[in-house]
Amino acid sequence: MIRFDYIKPASLEECQELLNHYQGKARLFAGGTDLMVEFRADDKKLKDVEVVLDISNLSELKIIKLDEEVISIGSCATFTEIIGNQGLIKYAPFFVEACRTVGSPQIRNTGTIGGSIGTASPASDPGPPLVAMNSILTLLSSAGEREVLLSDFIVGAYKTIIKSNELIKSIKFKTLKPEAGFSFVKLGRRKALAIARMNVAAYVETGEDGTAKDVRIVPGSATPITIRITEAENMLLGKTPSYELHEAVGKKVSEKMIEITGTRWSTPYKEPVIASLVKRALNQATGVKENG
Amino acid sequence: MDKIKVTMTVNKKTVETEIEPYARLLDVLRDNFGFTGVKEGCGIGECGACTIIMNGKKVNSCMILAAQAQGSEILTIEGVENADGTMHPVQEAFLEKGAVQCGFCTPGMVISSYHLLNKNPEPTDLEIKEAISGNLCRCTGYKQIISAVHMAADNMKK
Repeated sequence: MIRFDYIKPASLEECQELLNHYQGKARLFAGGTDLMVEFRADDKKLKDVEVVLDISNLSELKIIKLDEEVISIGSCATFTEIIGNQGLIKYAPFFVEACRTVGSPQIRNTGTIGGSIGTASPASDPGPPLVAMNSILTLLSSAGEREVLLSDFIVGAYKTIIKSNELIKSIKFKTLKPEAGFSFVKLGRRKALAIARMNVAAYVETGEDGTAKDVRIVPGSATPITIRITEAENMLLGKTPSYELHEAVGKKVSEKMIEITGTRWSTPYKEPVIASLVKRALNQATGVKENG
Repeated sequence: MDKIKVTMTVNKKTVETEIEPYARLLDVLRDNFGFTGVKEGCGIGECGACTIIMNGKKVNSCMILAAQAQGSEILTIEGVENADGTMHPVQEAFLEKGAVQCGFCTPGMVISSYHLLNKNPEPTDLEIKEAISGNLCRCTGYKQIISAVHMAADNMKK
């Protein structure tokens, strides 16, 4: 176990002062579900941590609000709070679905959305739908706030551009249009408590003629950074969704994954699996029958 | 690193101790307070053997710093029994249905089942499975556990 001091700031201001004071030697602690594992394993990247700042109960960071077609979620909202929020269930159901598959009831009771984003695991469950919704993060420091696209915030596996004096305040995205189709599919080693082996978020908006006007495909655990695969999305744009087309789009995602990661020990498994999951996600999002 | 003094209510009794700031709640419950019914299975939040109820929420005590528990209200397996010291219907049903094999997951399983029945007195199979989905039984005796929860639900209604 890594050793550190413990401080529970009473307000966001105090938290910012402490971040400035410790200059990179303070570690923000939200739900702790990733950090406690790393502390226990004496993770080298935490060896300089002198103090843990427990922000899990800062009420300013727990607010979930819906206004003017934008949903904003405080970084310390737990997964349990997210999956129980009526606004999110109504306006971002595939994101709620992804949060429902995180860990276990125990983990969802403590784990937070901001913690998950800050950890920047390539196997994140909320990551793909959040990227598919072009989500924006608000980062806060004593210098003020700045907004960053989630897809620009994460720059590598477990790497982000957050500065040592900043914290993730909230994440926001537009409510989904009623005419949009979307889905989240996940393959884990088992149903509960499984870190995603692979997952996919898909979003498809179709026009009156039935052709796709806006397509977003985000595979998870496929690439070091969770990103939209635009080459695959473009194959569907302007076309009428169909089983055959979705099959081809799935293969394209697979190709792009290998282009990005190279052939790895897991590739023979991941190549057909991600193609199949993408096909399934697109079928679900567009109401195309699964058996062709 | 200075030690921190913490006070919490465990199984309806107020207790106080000095802890290292990096101590896990799991270890403090076991070593400082003697609640050794709280088990460490994996230590990484996967198995649920260390499950407790903290301020009404079911959590893994291996994922929580003891310092976070300052002022909180905690229930461990030792506090599940009835006030007169007899077994709670969930505990009785686990014995009756043979829902205990090696016994290591049992405290966590009982806590999760107890927590479920307090919120939902008539759970379906699916709701029971969901409620114990954060508790792994390596003996794989899930079927007996599910029947035990049904039995406890029936007995609690009487």
